[in-house]
This record gives sequence, C-alpha cells and structure tokens, in this order.
Amino acid sequence: MIHIFDGAMGTMLQAEGLASGACPESMNIEHPDIVQKVHEAYIEAGSTIIETNTFGGSALKLAHYGLADRMEEINIAAVNIAKKAAGGKAKVAGSMGPTGRFIKPLGDLDFEEAYQVFHEQAAALAKGGADYIIIETCIDLQEMRAALLAAKDACDLPVICQLSYSEDGRTVTGTDPQSAAVTLSAMGADIIGVNCSLGPEQLVPIVRTLAENCDVPISVQPNAGMPYLENGETKFPMGPEDFGTWGAKLVEAGATFLGGCCGTTPAHITALVKALKGISEPERKKEARPLILSSRSKTVAIDKTLPTRLIGERINPTGRKKLAAEIREGSLLSVKKEAVNQVKAGAHLLDVNMGVGGIDQSAAMKRAVMEIAQITDAPLAIDTGDAKALEAGLRAYPGRALINSVTAETSRLKEFLPLAKKYGAAILCLPITDDGVPKTAEERIKVMGTILKAAREQGLRDGDFLLDSLVMTVSADANACHEVLATLKGYRKEYGYPSTMGLSNISFGLPNRPLINSTFFAMCLAAGLDAPIMNPYDEAMQNALMASAALLGKDPNGLAFSKNEANLSVPKKAAEAKEITTDVLSAIKLAVIDGEKDSIAELVEKAIQEGHDTNEITEKSLTAAMTDIGEDFGAGRMFLPQVLLSAETMREAFNKLKELLPAQNTADKGTFVIATVKGDVHDLGKNITGALLANSGFKLIDLGKDVDSQEIVKAAIENSADIVGLCALMTTTMVQIDKVIKELHEAGSKAKVMVGGAALTQEYADAAGADAYAADGVKAVELAKAMLENN
Amino acid sequence: MPIYNAPLMKIDPKETRRYAGLMKAENFEESRIEEACEEALLLAMPKGIWEIYDYDCNTQRIATDPPFTILGEKIGGHLAGCDKVILLAATVGEDIEETVTKRFQKGDYAFSVLLDAAATTAVEQIADAMEKAIRPKAAAKGYDMRWRFSPGYGDWPLEQQPDLVRLSHAEKIDISLSESLMLMPRKSITAIIGLYKKDITTTKAPAHTPKGCAACDKLDCPSRRA
Repeated sequence: MIHIFDGAMGTMLQAEGLASGACPESMNIEHPDIVQKVHEAYIEAGSTIIETNTFGGSALKLAHYGLADRMEEINIAAVNIAKKAAGGKAKVAGSMGPTGRFIKPLGDLDFEEAYQVFHEQAAALAKGGADYIIIETCIDLQEMRAALLAAKDACDLPVICQLSYSEDGRTVTGTDPQSAAVTLSAMGADIIGVNCSLGPEQLVPIVRTLAENCDVPISVQPNAGMPYLENGETKFPMGPEDFGTWGAKLVEAGATFLGGCCGTTPAHITALVKALKGISEPERKKEARPLILSSRSKTVAIDKTLPTRLIGERINPTGRKKLAAEIREGSLLSVKKEAVNQVKAGAHLLDVNMGVGGIDQSAAMKRAVMEIAQITDAPLAIDTGDAKALEAGLRAYPGRALINSVTAETSRLKEFLPLAKKYGAAILCLPITDDGVPKTAEERIKVMGTILKAAREQGLRDGDFLLDSLVMTVSADANACHEVLATLKGYRKEYGYPSTMGLSNISFGLPNRPLINSTFFAMCLAAGLDAPIMNPYDEAMQNALMASAALLGKDPNGLAFSKNEANLSVPKKAAEAKEITTDVLSAIKLAVIDGEKDSIAELVEKAIQEGHDTNEITEKSLTAAMTDIGEDFGAGRMFLPQVLLSAETMREAFNKLKELLPAQNTADKGTFVIATVKGDVHDLGKNITGALLANSGFKLIDLGKDVDSQEIVKAAIENSADIVGLCALMTTTMVQIDKVIKELHEAGSKAKVMVGGAALTQEYADAAGADAYAADGVKAVELAKAMLENN
Repeated sequence: MPIYNAPLMKIDPKETRRYAGLMKAENFEESRIEEACEEALLLAMPKGIWEIYDYDCNTQRIATDPPFTILGEKIGGHLAGCDKVILLAATVGEDIEETVTKRFQKGDYAFSVLLDAAATTAVEQIADAMEKAIRPKAAAKGYDMRWRFSPGYGDWPLEQQPDLVRLSHAEKIDISLSESLMLMPRKSITAIIGLYKKDITTTKAPAHTPKGCAACDKLDCPSRRA
C-alpha cells in the first residue's frame, strides 16, 4: 500500500498569519483553528498521514520562546488538532525535529540530554494519541539514534526516521544512506527515509540505497526543488504537476510513504496522489539479511562471498603494560594511534578493549568509542565482559557496532542479548558455557546452537551473528587445530553465518610462532574463516592472507597478488641503486645537501679514517654544503623543510666530529643571542633560525619566546654577544624591537642587531635602527657570517 | 551559538605540502608529509563555534549591542550585498603546538615544520566542515555564502580580533587572546562569512573580491597558490 504524507506546514501557517520569527508550535494553543485548517487542506488533497505541528516542539527548541514548560501541553494539543482534522480518515504522525545542536563530541549537547528531551516529547505525542512518531530532518546520525532510542523507550508506536542529505549524498556530518539504513533498521526503526534539503530528482538514488540496505518500508518527502529569491521572497521552483511526476520514480526506487517538505502545498499533494493512482508497491529484493556493520560514515559487510575482513586486535591493554598505564592515566593517544595505524595496515574493523584494572570501565569505553569514531571510519567491536561498559560503548557509538562477545554463559545471555537488540548491534558468538570450553567441534557447534536460539528469542535474526570457532593451544591439545577446522566447516554447514576467531592462541608455548600462526591462518581461510581478529601489522599473516586470497579465488587469478610489489622477483627499488661518489668529502657535502641524516655519521667516520681533520671536513664539506644550500634556497630551488633536513644532517656531522676528535674545535664563528620579543608567542621561525645558526658554527644562546627587553639586554651584555637576533611575527609586537634596540644602545652593548619575522620589512628594520633584516633563517646565517667577517 | 567539532578523518597532505612551502620542491618524500599529517590527526582536538548576526553592508555594521563596525575597505567590498554575517572560530587545540615545540627541541626540525603545516591544514579543514554544516541552513532561507575572511587579510586590522573573539563566542571553545592580540592556542582562526540573497530579480552581481591567495598582497609567500 502507498501512503501519502502531507506537505509543508510552516509556510502554510505564515500564509495564515504566523509572524516571521514567532514560534510555529505556539499556534497549537493560540490558534488551533488555523492549524486545523492546514491539516484539513492536506486531507482534502489526499494525505493519508498528516504530521502534527510539533517539528520544533521539543523543550530545547521551545525554550527559545520561553515555552519549554508548556512542552507537553503544546504537543498534546497538536495531536488533538490533527486527530480532529483527520476525523478517522487519516493517520496522525507526531513530528519531532532536531534540537539544533550537535551531540558530543561533535557539539556541546550531551547524548543523554538529547535523549531526555526526545523522550519527553515522544511521550507527550503518544499521550495525545498519535499513530506514529516521525523523527525528521536530522543531519546527524547520532542525534537520530538518541531520538529513536527515546521514542522506542517512551512508547510503542511505530517510529519513522528521516535524515536530510546534502548534494554529495551524505548528511552534513558525513552519514551515507547505506550506513543510515544499516544502523537505524538494526535499532528497530519501523520506517526509514529522507526529507528536506533536496528536490525529488536528487532523492531518487538515496531512496534506492536505503531500500537496498534494509527491509523496512522507505519514506521520502522532498522539497519542491532548491529555493531561490524573488523580490525578497523565498520561492521554490517546482510546481505541483512537475512534483507529482516524480512520485512514480520514487516508488520504483523503493518508497511507499511519500509526501512533501519545504515549498510543497496541498496542490503538490493532490498532484502526487493523482500521479500515483494505480501504481503498485515496488518489488523489494528478499535476500537473506547479510551481516553489515557501520560507523557514522562507512559500512563493512562480512560474508563468505566477500574478501576476508580483518578485525584489528591492537586496542587492547591486556599484556601491554605501557598501553595499560596510559589508559589508566586517562590518555588515549596510543589508542588513537593504534586505531589509525591498524586501518592503514589493512584492518576493516577495530576491536576496542579498555580492560584496565582500577578504572571506571564504562567511562573509559565511552570515551574511547567517541574519540576513535572522530578519527576513523572503520566500524568498531566493543570488547568487554562488563555489561555496563558494553552499554556505555554501544550508546556512545554513532553506528552499528559488533559486540565481542556473547557466550552461552547464563549471565552473558541474560545481560548482553537485550543490549544487542536495543542498540542494534551484531554479536560475536563464542561457544563457551557455564561449564567451560567445549573441546570438540561437535560440542562447539551444539553450544553455538544454544546461543543462536537464545538470541533469536530476544529478537535477533539473520545478519546479526558472527560465529567464533574458539582457538585452543596446539601445544596443550594436539587436536586443537583439527577441531577449529572442523568447527568452521560445521558452522558453515549448520548455520551458514560468517565466522571469526582470535588466531594467535594456537601457537602459545611453541617456538617460531609467526610460522605456526600464518600456516594455521591459511588453513582456516580454506576452511571458511571470514573475519579473523588479528594483528594487522603482522607481515607473515598479511602474506598468508594475500596468498590465500589468490589460491581460494577471493583474488581471482591472483590479479592483486601479481600486482603487489613484494611478490615481484626483482623488487623495483633495486633498480634505482644510488650513484656512489668516490671522494668522501664530496659525499659528505652531498649527504648534507640531500638531508641524509642516517648515513652522515658513517661518512664522517670514513673521512677521519682517511686522514681529514675537523677543519678540513668543516670547510670543504659542511660549510661548502651550507653555501650551496643558501644559494639554492635563495634561487627557489630548495625549500625550508629541505634546508632543515640538511641542518639535522649537519648537526649529526658535528656531533660525530666532536665525538671522534674531541680535541679539535669545530669552528666558532661568534656568539648569537636570539629571542622572540615580549608579547609574541610564535617561536617556530625563531627556532628554525636558531637551529640553522647553531649548525653553521655559531654559539647560540636562545632566550625563547615572549622575552622581556631587559632580559635580552642582560643576556647580550653577559655573554658579550656578537649579534642579537630579534624575532617578531605580528604588527602588534614588532614595536618591541624598537624598544630592545634602544635599551641595548643605552646599556652600551656592542652587539649588532638582526631582526626578522613575518610582519617585519627592511624599511621597518632600518627605521628601528637594526643592523640587518633577515627575511628567513637561511638569509640570517648568510648575514651573520658577513657581519662578523666585516668586523 | 552552535558548536560543531567536525570529525577529522584525514589531514590533506597536499595542503600540508603547500603550507610547508614545498609546492615547488621536487623529490621531497611524500612519506614525511604523510607522517606529519598522521601525527597531527592524533593530536588535534577540533573545535568550532559560530554565531549569526544581521549586517548592514552600507555602514559595515554588525547588529549587536553595542553595534560593531567592521573596518577595512577590502572586507567592506567583500561583504557588499550581504544582510547577514556569520562569525566563526575554530581551533585544533594546544597539543599539536606543544608537540611542534617539543620535537623541535629534540632536533626534529623538519618534522616540526611539517607538523606545524599539518596543524594549519587541519584548522582550515575544520572551518571548511563548519561551512558545510552552515550552508544547507542558509540555503533553506535562500542565502548563499561568501568565502570566509579573517582579520589581518587585506586591510582588515588585527586590532578587531578581540571583537571577533567576543562575537563568535570563541572563549566557549577555549580560544583566548593574548595582550598582543594573538589567538591562543596558536592554531586557531576567527573569520567572517557574509550571507547574501541570490535574488533572481536583481541583476547586479554582488561585488566579489578575489579568493584566498589571490586576495593577499604578500606575493613572496612560500605557500602562495600559483
């Protein structure tokens, strides 16, 4: 059956006299007759579901008009008006719009506060007698999750979830329709759809993607095209007839609930009804529901027909003291690093375990999930045995997570399964009972049946399960490997669901574990392993996976395997062997210019062995290199980061010289006092200049940033500075330069003054009485050398 | 005053290369740039906030109490035809700059400079994401957006930075201003975005200033786009 919603409400109310800037929902209590008139116009037009005038009816929104305390009254009144207008001829959907704020960590609104306001509003709409709850125009999946959870908790009404997508086919916060369909349908949304932002033409592909990724009905309420302005009035380009013609295409794409959003009128709805006359419901594919997990912006499917998916196991403090200590201290830096690096190494999903003793597990899991979801789009597995921590993680996760794990233990089944259902998570099923680990494949397959039965009783179904075949240690149990392989095959035959396992336990207690692990891995892949939990950095495992994919037809004809550089008999890198210069002093110079920090010490050592002394190496190699670098930099052939790599190399060379020939002095070109002036906290430019000077033979005294003029003068006098270098970045701080120069002169300092920094110019330097202006660090070195040579 | 801390999934290596002044450099290993971008990603704590105000483009005055007049001809021209403005602030937090300093002291000069450039890229990406969040709301009311403009661009005096910090509510995302008008953390920006109505009845095209680098007088800037 095709259902027809109504069209725009706000513009209709404005046409009936609602003042611009006034609260549209206040009309429900002040002018119910006007609201009723709008509803009646839509029912007249053929709407079978009308939406209450409560889009901004949450306490958070009503607070803008000082009406938060009348939230319940306004929402109940709205339902009453709609029901009166409908007179039994149409259903009433209680509308809930977004709060206008982003949920943490995207914004400042706490998930629980959002949940609370949606809960209150949904309860009021249900109390008023609405037939549906419709959550619409959300741009953030996490806000939609809060509203959906709240609506489900507050009442038993069917819930319609409609997000708004931008022209790139994603919501403002990055959610694509597939991720939305997967996440929201698993959480129990009864109808999933899209409204606002775009016209019907752009919504056709979004409706299609939604329909392909869930099995609930699809709703769509487009705008009448994109708005424009005419004589100061906002108008929409699409007329009723044109709008109506899109109806059939939207139904064909999968929609069965259709209506209009901004710019649509009763005439648009009439046209839509007319155009849909005689059109039957779309055919929806009826395939078994696959296992798909989702982050806010990406989905990952696990299936025997798809390439193997890696679940990265590294976010786990078990047996890793440093990581555990960090987590305990509240730092997630390494956790985030593991997240990013594992994805880079090929992980498709990330397991998150915060099992550190003595900390609040729930708080740690919530924070980890939130922060990881901000920097990676790989879906997460929440790995914990603590039901509270599990719920904290699931609630905070803006997507569809995997629960690791549900066993057949009585307490796990009782505590974890309802959480999986409520939050729409998939479950990793581990065949362990209250009596322990079953040894044989036969027993494991049987225990798995117990878990699946209990899960189904809680409402879980196909597409919710990932089966673990449970790996024991082969050194303790000679049959361990055989049992795993038999379990994998048994699972596939008996249940057909995808499988997983933590592999490395197999080799515990044996030498050369990588060899055992990777061999075992290849066997398991052949027996039907779909998504191993493993260390994605492990090269032997990655190689086994790559080879197995070619052998098992997941990489057809070994095409990807053949393209992988590591498998080519002559690695490409070998072809570009470096030209070797014979003369060691030239080699040092070249290494400095090229910034080859790692090879410089060896070269310096070689030069000394060949009888060159410090002076010679400095002059012929290092200083010569610096001169070339200066020229190249000045001519725009070399750039700052490259100069700095050279400086790093130069430093290594000097260090080696000092180490090997401590008696010989590396050239001392003079004393240079450097500072960023008072009020200025930018010090990278100053640091760069300092580093270049220090590695060009100057004795550098770096006073740091935000340095008082008197301190600079004092340091210049005490150290008998040859040059004082002053750095200022901003127009607001460069006046300090005048001050320092004046005070240096008053104190009788003989030091030359060099100035630099983004805001400075030659003119300013001259006016301030500086001896030199250096546009950059390389220039500063050049000028400093020249200044002291002229002395 | 919406707060939007956009997810930052990747820092653009191309922009980082540009901010590091390496656009014309041949043979500078991409892996060094990527390493800096990845480190910056881990250290960044993206935060953003904005506020919308009515604006009178004839007097360059923002309707606040008391009214605030924007100084500068270029910014005035840039906002010509706009009747609303958005003042925004964005930051990546302090951790990145602390690491830049620490790594420099350790002697990783080049890495520090690249990390600093990656942080600059990240702040701009956060502001871009904020614009993306604002755009549909503006479009729903028939507004289009001018590209964002910050104090210090053109002839807009830095002395107006305190007003921008105040009007964007930057302090709510822990941005403050030093006595010398520097934003702290350093890797922060404030900016203005003009909103104008695309009225099909008015033929007069709103005055547009050249965008980004083309608008800047610093011709020898190592990061200047070609």
